[in-house]
Amino acid sequence: MIKQSILFGILSVLLVPPAAAQVARVKQSVGAAAIERGTKRLPASPGLQLNTGDRLVTGKNGRISVTFVDNTRFAIGPDSNVAISQFDYDRTRQRGVFVTQVNRGSLAVVSGKIAKSGRDAMKVRTPNSLLGVRGTRFIVEVPK
Amino acid sequence: MSRQGIALGAAFLLGGCTHSSLLLLPDEDGGQGSVAVLEAKGKPTEAVVADPNSRTALGRRNAASRPLGAKGLNPRQAGLLGDLPPPARSFTLYFDQGEVELLPQSLGEVAALRAEIAKRPGADVEVTGHTDTVGDGDDNDALSLKRAEEVLALLVAAGFDASLMTATGRGERELREPTADAVANAVNRRVEVIVR
Repeated sequence: MIKQSILFGILSVLLVPPAAAQVARVKQSVGAAAIERGTKRLPASPGLQLNTGDRLVTGKNGRISVTFVDNTRFAIGPDSNVAISQFDYDRTRQRGVFVTQVNRGSLAVVSGKIAKSGRDAMKVRTPNSLLGVRGTRFIVEVPK
Repeated sequence: MSRQGIALGAAFLLGGCTHSSLLLLPDEDGGQGSVAVLEAKGKPTEAVVADPNSRTALGRRNAASRPLGAKGLNPRQAGLLGDLPPPARSFTLYFDQGEVELLPQSLGEVAALRAEIAKRPGADVEVTGHTDTVGDGDDNDALSLKRAEEVLALLVAAGFDASLMTATGRGERELREPTADAVANAVNRRVEVIVR
């Protein structure tokens, strides 16, 4: 009986998929604004939780703003495609690694605790460069 | 003007339109950070952009920054900054020794907290309980979590969706005022709430 329940305990630990840790929430969106998750396309409505790997995509008049759990804030402009490539954050130690890919469009950033936690712990990739974020407020523009 | 010059000028203009760029701005609190260009076209670089209100074309080996000039940001860029969500705000609520119920003096702060959550669309609320160093570490873990859950329950009772919120307890691990063990301290007996 005890053995069984131990086994069951182990199994249930193994079977529960790792809860997709919440990374960020959409705060606001305007116009054509969606979150692409795998093959799914979700409307970017306020309160929607974002996961690592999500792509934030806007059309001609679309805009999305987002706050991450490390207090980083994003505003994404029209005609944009921005992916959250990596977001690992230890809330307790307030350390982590954060990589964002700006494929197209414009992104305004106010960096948060991850950027403060180590040199170049936060990076932003564009099609032709890789940036290490050491300060808080900037805009990256990637024209078509 | 030579033909070469014209060609160069045209190339420069085209380059200006198609290159990605970085605009470095002053921090909201008036300080100034920097951004390192770690790679350009796949090759490592060591350029660091630190000039406030500057624009830097990306994808070049030697990143050179130019001041934005008197015109400053264009309307699109200004609009983008205006779209940034407000900074996270934090609130601290206090408790009596060993108690789970808030001190009456914290009720005003609870009202401010409720107002802040209500005015933020898509809010995300992180509730973290703490204790002082009186008592056993395990008991304090449990007490700090109960304090956080009490605050969360208050917010749910006020009509906020529980799915916006998380409650955790940190026991006596994160003292606001460092003390020796077994020291009663009113400042350390608290719940911190971050609203994003």
